[in-house]
Amino acid sequence: MTDRITGGLLLIVTLGYGYQAYNLKVGFMSDPIGPKAFPLIIAGLLTFFSLYLLVKPDEEPDWPIWKVWRNKSFVLLSFVFYAYALVSLGFLLATTIEITFLAFMFQGKLWKGLVTGVVSSLLLYTMFVHLLGIPLPLGKIFGG
Amino acid sequence: MSSFQSLMQGFAVALTPLNLLLAFSGCMVGTMVGVLPGIGPITGVAILVPLTFAMKLPPESALILLAGIYYGAMYGGSTTSILLNVPGETASVVTTLDGYQMAKQGRAGPALAIAAIGSFIAGTMSVVGLMFFGPILAKMAIRFGPAEYLALMVFAFSMISSLAGRNLAKALIATMIGLMCATVGLDPGSAVPRYTFGQMKLYDGMDFLVVAIGLFAISEVLVLLEETHTGQSVSATVGKVFISIKEFFFALGSIIRGSLLGFFIGVLPGAGASTASFISYTMEKRISNKDDTFGKGDIRGVAGPESANNAAAGGALIPLITLGVPGSGTTAILLGALLGMNIVPGPLMFQNHPNVVWGLVASMYIGNVMLLILNLPLVGLFVKILLVPRWILIPLVTALSFIGVYSVNNSPFDILLMSGFGVVGYLMRKMDYPLAPVILGLVLGELMEKNLRRAMSISGGDWSYLFSSTICITLWILAVISLFAPVIFTKLGELKKQAVAGDEEI
Repeated sequence: MTDRITGGLLLIVTLGYGYQAYNLKVGFMSDPIGPKAFPLIIAGLLTFFSLYLLVKPDEEPDWPIWKVWRNKSFVLLSFVFYAYALVSLGFLLATTIEITFLAFMFQGKLWKGLVTGVVSSLLLYTMFVHLLGIPLPLGKIFGG
Repeated sequence: MSSFQSLMQGFAVALTPLNLLLAFSGCMVGTMVGVLPGIGPITGVAILVPLTFAMKLPPESALILLAGIYYGAMYGGSTTSILLNVPGETASVVTTLDGYQMAKQGRAGPALAIAAIGSFIAGTMSVVGLMFFGPILAKMAIRFGPAEYLALMVFAFSMISSLAGRNLAKALIATMIGLMCATVGLDPGSAVPRYTFGQMKLYDGMDFLVVAIGLFAISEVLVLLEETHTGQSVSATVGKVFISIKEFFFALGSIIRGSLLGFFIGVLPGAGASTASFISYTMEKRISNKDDTFGKGDIRGVAGPESANNAAAGGALIPLITLGVPGSGTTAILLGALLGMNIVPGPLMFQNHPNVVWGLVASMYIGNVMLLILNLPLVGLFVKILLVPRWILIPLVTALSFIGVYSVNNSPFDILLMSGFGVVGYLMRKMDYPLAPVILGLVLGELMEKNLRRAMSISGGDWSYLFSSTICITLWILAVISLFAPVIFTKLGELKKQAVAGDEEI
């Protein structure tokens, strides 16, 4: 069933992709085929493969149980949080929070995770910013 | 200039303190990445590429570091295969068959030793091969026009698709997804934005590093969330990593066979270290399994594949450097890194960037010696990394991925994009799609389209031009054959098994 669903979704995406390519407005032609042809070839091939998937699906993959999905969503949300926190809270604080949280998700003790988070974000910051010269945001709340 | 002079010039590059340090760091990181199951060379290289950009390393130094990770990982991969029955890399899967048996019999020492020595011999042989065949192939490739390049890329795609996964359709879908992602952004030929949905951030296209780190590193974090056990236990003791002269000579034939086979498989576009080690094991079994000792701790079953994967890693650099067409996920990332530094690999690499090519070759001689030293007496130290609990290791790798992705464009948006690809990568893994073709498609997509359009400009829109030269036709035929050969071979194999129960040539 999974393969049938992905095959169907893929087909929709592919058709949308091909439609967009077909409707590209090209001001002047720099070469005989222009920017449309390559995406259209991809769309054609992918249409064929996704139809194949609809007709001949593999057996069902073993999906994890609900609790695991929930944990995965938490981890993903923490990534989104990190993307937004990095600039405002700065690398040190955001990374400490992220590492602590992930350590906890991987069955570490909370305080041990916190220690790991503080120590490793300090180490990483020193290593990248001071030793390797790679800029990392200090954080808006620290005036960075 | 003769090859010898060029090589000396290369050593002058590789022996500068910075480059020696980078080669050593690459080999260290590579071995670590190899030892750790789940983190492969592709993840290691992808995380480090943006850092080499941000540090503004010169191209030869960056390549020395990144290639070190790639071939270093081939050394480290055998360690956990032998000690824990858990392959550190896909290229070391077959090493578990005899390696772990040897460890169970208390012969972990000789198994680790022969893996390191075999890797060293194979690695060195492949550098010699790179030195001799690289320039020859470059001379041949100089006659390649856009139509030939296009056909060559199609050949690379069909090879990797037919070898990468169990389901050919899914591997091809993965390739197409990569190509699709490659078309996002401003079209360089006509300055028309494609699939940007009005987002200025997408005008530059999707960065292959963001996609690669998402697909490989982040999806691995999501996969690992499913495993409930908290830490790996290193039960087997390493013991003394030592091998008797007698045992070494017993395995030498397998090492040399594995090296030669691995090298030539590596040179093929689309086939890499994993394929090489697998075929080498099958071949060794056919040649050497007279007393039915394979799978029961035969040292030749470790020596062959471990040599083959190292030789393949070296061989795979040849199409990358001389043709600009990588054959695996990791070499695709190396190509992307070179392009990012404004170095376009191709037939003229040897003339235009001798420092990069010969510096790399020389550094690989040095790196292999370093790796032999790192992996023979110090293997016990590397095994210690496995004692680091997962709740420290995984958050750290994630943090490094964040730093890597962020430093590509200094943009937090890329972290979101990376997380998105992490989800895609996770779902694809679960549904049995190979991931390497996506990266290959993404990195090669732009070049492929450029060559297609250049060919069409030459021919004035006549599509038959794509099949007009002998080289083109040969490559197209090879592409079709490689696509369907595995399917046909398995069918034939099944038929043969029913007909005769004897050994057949592959």
